[in-house]
Amino acid sequence: MAEHVHTAAAAQQDESHSFSKKAIWRTFWILLIITVVELALAIIYYESHFLNKHFLNGIFIIGTLAKAFFIIAEFMHLKYEIKNLIMSIAFPAMLFIWFLTAFLWDGNSYKNLRNRYDPHHVQRNNTIVAPQEGKKPGVE
Amino acid sequence: MAQSVPAGQKWWSGGHSPFHVEYGKLMMWYFLMSDAFTFGAFLISYGTIRFASNSWPDPNKVFNTFPVIGEMRMPLAFVSLMTFILIMSSVTMVLAVGAGHNNDKKGVMKWMFFTILGGLAFLGCQAWEWTHLHGEGAWWGRNPFMNINGSQSSTNFTNFFFTITGFHGFHVFSGVIINIIMLIMTWRGVFERRGHYLMIEKAGLYWHFVDLVWVFVFTSFYLL
Amino acid sequence: MSNETTIHVPAEVVHELHVEEHGAHHKESFITKYVFSQDHKMICKQFLITGIIWAILGGLMSVLFRLQLGYPEASFPILEDIFGKWAKGGKFTPEAYYALVTMHGTVLVFFVLTGGLSGTFANFLIPLQIGARDMASPFLNMLSYWFFWLASVVILSSFFLETGPASGGWTVYPPLSALGQVNEGSKAGMDFWIIGMALFVVSSLLGGLNYISTILNMRTKGMSMTRVPLTIWAILFTAVLGVLSFPVLLSGLILLLFDRHAGTSFYLSDIFVASTQTALPNEGGSAILFQHLFWFLGHPEVYIIILPAMGLVSEVMAVNSRKPIFGYMAMVGSLFAIAILAFLVWAHHMFVTGLNPFLGSVFVLLTLLIAVPSAIKVFNWLTTLWRGNIRFTPAMLFAIGFVSMFISGGLTGIFLGNSTLDIHLHDTYFVVAHFHIVMGVSAFFGMFCGIYHWYPKMYGRYLNNTMAYIHFWITLAGAYLIFWPLHYEGLAGVPRRYLDYSNWHAFKNFLELNRFISTVAMIVFAVQLMFVFNFFYSIFKGRKVVTPNPWGANTLEWTAPIRPGHGNWPGEIPEVYRWAYDYGKDGRSFIPQTEPVSPQESKH
Repeated sequence: MAEHVHTAAAAQQDESHSFSKKAIWRTFWILLIITVVELALAIIYYESHFLNKHFLNGIFIIGTLAKAFFIIAEFMHLKYEIKNLIMSIAFPAMLFIWFLTAFLWDGNSYKNLRNRYDPHHVQRNNTIVAPQEGKKPGVE
Repeated sequence: MAQSVPAGQKWWSGGHSPFHVEYGKLMMWYFLMSDAFTFGAFLISYGTIRFASNSWPDPNKVFNTFPVIGEMRMPLAFVSLMTFILIMSSVTMVLAVGAGHNNDKKGVMKWMFFTILGGLAFLGCQAWEWTHLHGEGAWWGRNPFMNINGSQSSTNFTNFFFTITGFHGFHVFSGVIINIIMLIMTWRGVFERRGHYLMIEKAGLYWHFVDLVWVFVFTSFYLL
Repeated sequence: MSNETTIHVPAEVVHELHVEEHGAHHKESFITKYVFSQDHKMICKQFLITGIIWAILGGLMSVLFRLQLGYPEASFPILEDIFGKWAKGGKFTPEAYYALVTMHGTVLVFFVLTGGLSGTFANFLIPLQIGARDMASPFLNMLSYWFFWLASVVILSSFFLETGPASGGWTVYPPLSALGQVNEGSKAGMDFWIIGMALFVVSSLLGGLNYISTILNMRTKGMSMTRVPLTIWAILFTAVLGVLSFPVLLSGLILLLFDRHAGTSFYLSDIFVASTQTALPNEGGSAILFQHLFWFLGHPEVYIIILPAMGLVSEVMAVNSRKPIFGYMAMVGSLFAIAILAFLVWAHHMFVTGLNPFLGSVFVLLTLLIAVPSAIKVFNWLTTLWRGNIRFTPAMLFAIGFVSMFISGGLTGIFLGNSTLDIHLHDTYFVVAHFHIVMGVSAFFGMFCGIYHWYPKMYGRYLNNTMAYIHFWITLAGAYLIFWPLHYEGLAGVPRRYLDYSNWHAFKNFLELNRFISTVAMIVFAVQLMFVFNFFYSIFKGRKVVTPNPWGANTLEWTAPIRPGHGNWPGEIPEVYRWAYDYGKDGRSFIPQTEPVSPQESKH
């Protein structure tokens, strides 16, 4: 058994090329650039409202998914595993699609319900309170 | 990894792993899947409540301070620093794993040390941010921030913020503890005797997962 | 060791097993052998016996509240002697009644049919049927049991609190569960419930990860995934469901804990407490959110309960029909389909909560899809029985009973899956009857089938057959006599969770029927106690097993010694050459998986 572990370790050594420092740093730069672009967009939007917020959110989400992909594929090394393992991770992750859709859909529906049937709720949401009163509890 | 495997290997025939990985790494992957659902549930709950609210505070106004510089308003600058620290520590973690593959004990120790340092720096930043927000009157059940339309906000903005970043911080904390244990084990030559540094790889997976979660937390709380 | 080709097996584990294989004097104290054992067979027995104790307690609770429902006017002084202030004057207080109902659900769903069922059979069957020495990580496996034990202790101790255990229903919906001031059971009892369930989630996670990685990584040579018995497939999908859905419950409970103690409003909004005449400041939360989170676990949970039972039944049915299981790949495919659909249908528990009706209709569609794989499974079981050479062993009877229960309980699921019908049927006894038959009684039948079948392998003795037959027939008849009338009550509109119907003109004429149901429930409970007696009696006095393969089965566990030691096979792990279902082939009653395929053999 002992020699077997050694062969396993030896087998590992020949794949060490996949841990090339170049690829790691490339991934680092990609992650950094995406993050910086996202921040720039967020700050510019804050200053000037130059874009539709929903459109901007779409960009943020795509950026986030891209970052997630690079972290999982490169840092967590999933790209270099065999396909069976990749599929066994990727497939269950797809459950998030319906998980997210149904939850948000019903959250939105709950808002509409309350806006339609709860006048107090609507009134409360439309009452503008001055920012400097912020630290005081609710304004009626 | 695919290169070191003979072509035409019958993966599912039994007698070996169908994924060409040892069981520990497999368990770590599936544990992370499970943990992804924990975080997913938190973030999706946050999204649901946000979708159920007519208005919500603007993160650019809430997170606009930076230590030392003081009162100068720098929206999102501090959280970018935190993000940078975490990505950096992920890089050093990969380098540690890479060094482990070469059975380079010194390299592993060096990079693990930097990773731990990064983790501690991140925790320090988070502690500062929490303290700062607490100083502004924010806490679980208390929300001093107005909605973006100027109306009174419910407390759920801060409730979710502290719960989710707290849960993430708890993961970073346990990751740092795991990394310290790994560093000590490396230093005492445990992995050297074992002939492989697979434990470092598993700790690495966990650490990258913490980074991965942060990417989503960052987007959900600071950008959207 | 045929697992040697598995890369990176931790050297120390292999070494330890190696020592035992050769019978070297490996010191095992009482503690390491029976308490903190890392042997999967001992952990299986720990899960099983803990599960049995919980089942007795959970069943006893149902007897107690059936007593209330059958005899709402009567008083039983003995109850006051035992329960003190919870049964003042010999009648249960409403708080006690709700606590009993809540804990009955919690205990049976989680601690018996999840912990007890998967914990027992996953631990016992995975290594033995796939040909492994033990689980991938025996240590984590041990931790899994001890977290289960801790969770049990926490839940059990909540019964002895001043304010009693949780009593807001096993689904612990807020705001009832979030506000201590509205309900005795929502005080400390609810915290105990949350902590107990958190520990349970940890236990199920540790167990599940182990089951998955063992099944994937540790199969013996030749044991491809299409050759493993259906039990293993079922356990694999069960473990996947648990690993992916329990964390969502954990998140939901953490948010609930914050709502209870940190002044947050995740689930709370616009609340006026009638008992104290106060309005609460909480604003902006959504109680429906908790229901989504709960049922995102809760629905997969019912498949976590039923899938292992399906696996056990498939195996036992093939063995005792002396026929290959009909449609092996269809069985695997339908298990897979059920596992996927389990995650897509949760909101059908919430049709009347104010859920968006259009979203509800999507959930109706997805829900009704479950009928397809379920029907495939049922037809495959029936066609396995068809023209089989059936041996009516107790295990086989329970397997057939399982199919009967699953059909009659499953059909009412189609009623309830339609959101329009559900408006009438929700929160009535129709729902209670449906889920008790389809996942409660069915899963118990699957569990009994497994226990009767594998008991000889666990303890090297048989259970008493006479008691087994009495157990089966009375349980079968009793289950139908209890739950068929409940469907009728439900259709008539009788709501669940009421402790006394005598003030309702519409419902009080069901008193006689309720009394009948309660009587049957007590008889069935008594018969279960007889089973428990049989179980413990047979450990010591049962007829001894003399042949390693008493049922003439193909699977690997019967190639091991009658009472395998730690490591399961004394020599090499057997290699596998065929699937597990070569029964009645080429004129032979059965051909074990370890027998190489001979050139003359006909193709299957």
